[in-house]
Amino acid sequence: MTQAPPAKSNPGLFKRNPPIAGEAEAIEAAKNGDPEAFSKLYALHKRRVYTLCLRMLGNVSEAEDMTQEAFLHLFRKLGSFRGESAFSTWLHRLTVNLVLMHLRKKGLNLVSLEETINPSEEDAPKRDFGSRDPILAGSVDRVALERAVASLPPGYRMVFVLHDVEGFEHNEIATMLDCSTGNSKSQLHKARLRLRELLRENQAAQPETIPEVAK
Amino acid sequence: MSGSGKIDFENLKPEDFELHLPELFASAQGKLSEDSRLQKFFTKYPTSLALVRDLETIAETARGLLEPTEEPSDDVWTNIQSKLLEENGGIGDDDDQPQDAPRPNGGLPKQ
Repeated sequence: MTQAPPAKSNPGLFKRNPPIAGEAEAIEAAKNGDPEAFSKLYALHKRRVYTLCLRMLGNVSEAEDMTQEAFLHLFRKLGSFRGESAFSTWLHRLTVNLVLMHLRKKGLNLVSLEETINPSEEDAPKRDFGSRDPILAGSVDRVALERAVASLPPGYRMVFVLHDVEGFEHNEIATMLDCSTGNSKSQLHKARLRLRELLRENQAAQPETIPEVAK
Repeated sequence: MSGSGKIDFENLKPEDFELHLPELFASAQGKLSEDSRLQKFFTKYPTSLALVRDLETIAETARGLLEPTEEPSDDVWTNIQSKLLEENGGIGDDDDQPQDAPRPNGGLPKQ
């Protein structure tokens, strides 16, 4: 089988998710039922899919279940992948949709997704117009950010992970979450403000380090 | 939220700036902290500049989180294999499966 040329490729997505060596061949072989190829796709993408699920769900057991679902779904839908976006982007979108469906099912008749997206006022970042606050020290530790993201309210975390980590556009997030693009932008901003607060608290709690001498 | 086209950059106050920030970030071409329309405002209100730089730092660091840090347990792959065996009525017996579906024809190998 020959690989279909990317019809409407998005250069941004390919730039962010560059093709992995051997991936295209594995996709085509897996489409033709090659079990080794499907196994290779799993090996190539399991960590990113699992990490995405874990960030969205914040729970190891659920994240593993959704990783399993994502790859089962991939197995069934692989034939419909046409190469219009990077494979990892396509797989991540599939995963995000499954996780959202899972969350909707969990919250059925309890909390609407819109409410989940909009956390309570207590969780909202404080507004601090013009006040003199300690700023982040020019850089953010990856581990500290990961920890701060995990402690965000689910709605903030969802939009932050989808936009800032996964690289989805606001219009895509709005479609996925069934909200307005304005809502997505607003939630992202609130998420970043909340992260700033959390990171500043974290930095303030750290023991002072001796500043590095400029080289 | 209004677009950045309606903002009076000459007479901008920090309160209004913060209200417009989600849209300004969303429509920024490059770094918002380097937007020429905002330089005068940032000079007058350095706290707003500090806020923007902090949020930019957070967004930049977040991009690095795309690289995964976690790995699923081996059970996940074992379960996938079992489910596919169930669904396909036995891996390797693919004579009556649709042509367009991916079919493992020799069993899924171990990870």
